[in-house]
Amino acid sequence: MTALDFWMIAPLAEVGFEVSVWAQVIVSVIIFAVVLQLVPIVLLMERKLLGRFQGRYGPNRVGLFGAMQPLVDIVKLASKEDFVPRNAATAIFIIAPVISLVTAVATIAIVPFGNTVEDGLFGANYTLYGIDVSIGFLYAFAFGSMAFYGLMLGGWASGSKYSFLGSMRSAAQLISYELAAGLSLVGVVMMAGTLSLTEIVNKQDQMWFIVPQFVGFLIFLVASFAELNRAPFDLVEADAELVAGYQTEYGGMRFASFMMAEYMNMVVFAGIATAMFLGGWHGPGPGWLDPVWVIVKMFAFITLFVWIRATLPRLRYDQLMSFGWKILVPIAVLNVLVTATLVVAL
Amino acid sequence: MVPILFFIAAFGAIGGAVGVVMLKNPFFSVLALVGHLFSLAVLFLLLYAEFLAAAQLIVYAGAVMVLYVFVVSYVGGADEPLDDGGGAPRALAPIFGGALLAVLAVAIGASGLKALDSEGAELPAGFGEPAQIGDLLLTRFLLPFEIASFLLTVAAVGAVILARRRRGLEPIADETPTDEGSS
Repeated sequence: MTALDFWMIAPLAEVGFEVSVWAQVIVSVIIFAVVLQLVPIVLLMERKLLGRFQGRYGPNRVGLFGAMQPLVDIVKLASKEDFVPRNAATAIFIIAPVISLVTAVATIAIVPFGNTVEDGLFGANYTLYGIDVSIGFLYAFAFGSMAFYGLMLGGWASGSKYSFLGSMRSAAQLISYELAAGLSLVGVVMMAGTLSLTEIVNKQDQMWFIVPQFVGFLIFLVASFAELNRAPFDLVEADAELVAGYQTEYGGMRFASFMMAEYMNMVVFAGIATAMFLGGWHGPGPGWLDPVWVIVKMFAFITLFVWIRATLPRLRYDQLMSFGWKILVPIAVLNVLVTATLVVAL
Repeated sequence: MVPILFFIAAFGAIGGAVGVVMLKNPFFSVLALVGHLFSLAVLFLLLYAEFLAAAQLIVYAGAVMVLYVFVVSYVGGADEPLDDGGGAPRALAPIFGGALLAVLAVAIGASGLKALDSEGAELPAGFGEPAQIGDLLLTRFLLPFEIASFLLTVAAVGAVILARRRRGLEPIADETPTDEGSS
């Protein structure tokens, strides 16, 4: 066993394919770098699109068509002072954005950008995904439930009423909608007979699961708006009521970490939705287009997120709760029952 | 990586458990419990129980503890520090703690720790994967599984009935006293 093997033998590191350790390391770094580059692009896209939806230009001063805007934003945020409010719980206040960012980055690993490749570039075997765990999307849900502590502790430790109320809302909202989001995916899992995301994508070479599981897709779509704190379910940071919710007291890079985690979660959710419902890397054209197709589908999903934000007004808090528990969860359970019956009968 | 992860998780689990009982601020106590449960999930992972680890995080750390954090941050906090109960609990705690330690020591000692120097038991294919666990739950452990789900349903219904009895779920208009004064 070499020193490198010692570090690479770890739980969840399975890829279900014979690859060298170096190939796995390089692929992981590339996936990480690419997804990290998607975040500022999504940020800029959202601001430009929102501008157009609202009859204005959006950022257009820095660089060509405002393309450098995210870069200068980061420079601005990085050069700001890292302050801690006087009545904040300092240690927790500092660690909360770290939790958010770490859990967001960890979930990137399961997004499949392509299948396994034999004798690919430089004649090496490699996979176009980070890991292929047997627990599949439950991995993302496990980290998603840890990500909650980032918001919760950030809001609690700030020592401000707005932050506290924001984090309390996030607690109730995330629990309620996580149930619906999880149940909506059970239909797909039952049809595919596996939890592994790459296996699920492989099962969609004839038909995308969005067709037989359209109800599940709609539930997942609605629940992911709530899970990601996106409008119209952005009560966690409702600007009109709570200033900015849990991140009110944050500034500089700590605020940027929260922001980045939020957009990274959006990219990862789009990736999971692509794999579960939109056929993952399947698309016309040669094999090397696979990752491109995944990214195109992810951006279609993200555009929908922005579009909805520009279209729908924010819900009231009691509407959000009763919608989640009285409509989404029953429909999701019904979807599971019907799918189970059909899977057994056919 | 495995030995390193094991020691990090083991110390995390013990530290978290000690923190739960030693910390005075209930909010930090709950956070220590979250840390403990997270470390346990890592230990499950090291035992190749992937599904169990995910369930541990989603159900315990992600749902049950969220409820604890929710309640404690509303009503607990530094204003109401925890005391050790005084009197009987303080006297009985060492006895029960010691008894548990003795039982565990006997159980571990009786195994002779024979597996310590070996590579451990052979892993069956698909061990700890969701498919195998689902299979076991619906065949060998069907009865306990169904009893547990029945118990949970009873608990949920009971919680709703208790909340209703305290008029927690009724419209506010019903709370105002009527002319007859009957309630």
